[in-house]
Amino acid sequence: MFKLRNLAMLTAPVAIALTAWSCERQPNAVAPAIGTPLAHFFQFQCTPFKMTGGGRIDYPPGTAEKNPPASHEYETFGAHVMASGLTDQNGTCLADKGALEWIDHRPEFRVNGHPLNLHATEITFAEVATDTDCKDGAAHWGGKLRVQNTGQEDLDFEVWDCDNGEPGVGHDGFAISVPAIDYAVMCPDPDLPPAEPTCTLTGGNRQFHPTH
Amino acid sequence: MKIDTMWRAIGLVAIVLPLSGMTGTVAGQMRAANAQAFGVSVNTPTVNQTSPYAVLPAGGALAQDQGQTVAVADFVTAQDAFVIVTGDADPTYGSNAVSSATLGAVSLLNGLITTDGVVAIATSTLGDGLVASDAEGSSLSNLIVNGTAVSDPAPNTRINLPGVGYVVLNEQSATGDGVTTSGITVNMIHVVLQQPILGALGQVTGYQTVGNIIVGSATSNVN
Repeated sequence: MFKLRNLAMLTAPVAIALTAWSCERQPNAVAPAIGTPLAHFFQFQCTPFKMTGGGRIDYPPGTAEKNPPASHEYETFGAHVMASGLTDQNGTCLADKGALEWIDHRPEFRVNGHPLNLHATEITFAEVATDTDCKDGAAHWGGKLRVQNTGQEDLDFEVWDCDNGEPGVGHDGFAISVPAIDYAVMCPDPDLPPAEPTCTLTGGNRQFHPTH
Repeated sequence: MKIDTMWRAIGLVAIVLPLSGMTGTVAGQMRAANAQAFGVSVNTPTVNQTSPYAVLPAGGALAQDQGQTVAVADFVTAQDAFVIVTGDADPTYGSNAVSSATLGAVSLLNGLITTDGVVAIATSTLGDGLVASDAEGSSLSNLIVNGTAVSDPAPNTRINLPGVGYVVLNEQSATGDGVTTSGITVNMIHVVLQQPILGALGQVTGYQTVGNIIVGSATSNVN
């Protein structure tokens, strides 16, 4: 009994110390600040998936509320991508196929008197994002596109894509960037659902399938 | 005893085997997604034109079409018409179909109806326990009908056009049972051209439809 009591006296402080240490903030851990979501679209994996659908975004500001129709401050699009989870020799997640059609109706973005129209010519990568709060799935994908208004082609683009359940309006999100023409429709506000930098759909739907 | 046991086994198999087939059938149920959209359609005894037009190909994915300027006789002129349809059907994860038709400046019947922005969106979804369709995102901008401004018309708003017929704004028609199927067609401007039917004494006894003009149409359905 003496030995047991001594053993308990020795191990108890160790147990207490271990417990305290496990609760101490780990400097490399990613901890969300209270009231704001985690940072999104930084962690990816190459697994088969398919993402389909399209719709409307009212950017700016890119919230779930539609802008007044007379403002023409909205974008419409269709986007479809499939990936089988394969990678190339550099570790890039390859896309099997896909398509993107994007129309920006904002007057200030008209080109040659017509709405800006982007048309994907090649989808080169597609990866599943594993760090978002998109309930049904999220993806980061992209490739090359052509500006239909001017004929400029072979421009790199990338998309952030979020299926946050049904229905899509007010829940799903989409964002696009075309660096070569300094064009982007992105909503980086972490308080704006769904996962930033996607802007909230005001029409349409995105649907994620975790299989090819 | 052995014969009784054998009959019990046969009976059990007879019960279980069909159930496993039913389960497989439910899980592997064939699904479909359909979508189509057009910018302008005119249908009369002398004119039959639809442009631009897109229909979702078999197997899903995406289709699109566009027309910078669409002009149909004295019926319609429209600028910057884009139509996009997307969709996919998966036996396990559900179906999704989204179609859109957008136009810029539009004039019908020599200015009787004008607008500078049309958006028609038809979304149909089967998944996550939801079977539904909606026209969210559809809109009309700076719409003027027979000299009167019309703002944000409610679904299926009808306005008479004396001497012409009538127009239905934000026309929405639903299909499907809402349990296993769902669909919707959205026509943002639908003019029904009519002519009076005259009686023996020349009095107007009714009207007959002689044509249709539709601007901004999107259709989608899933099962």
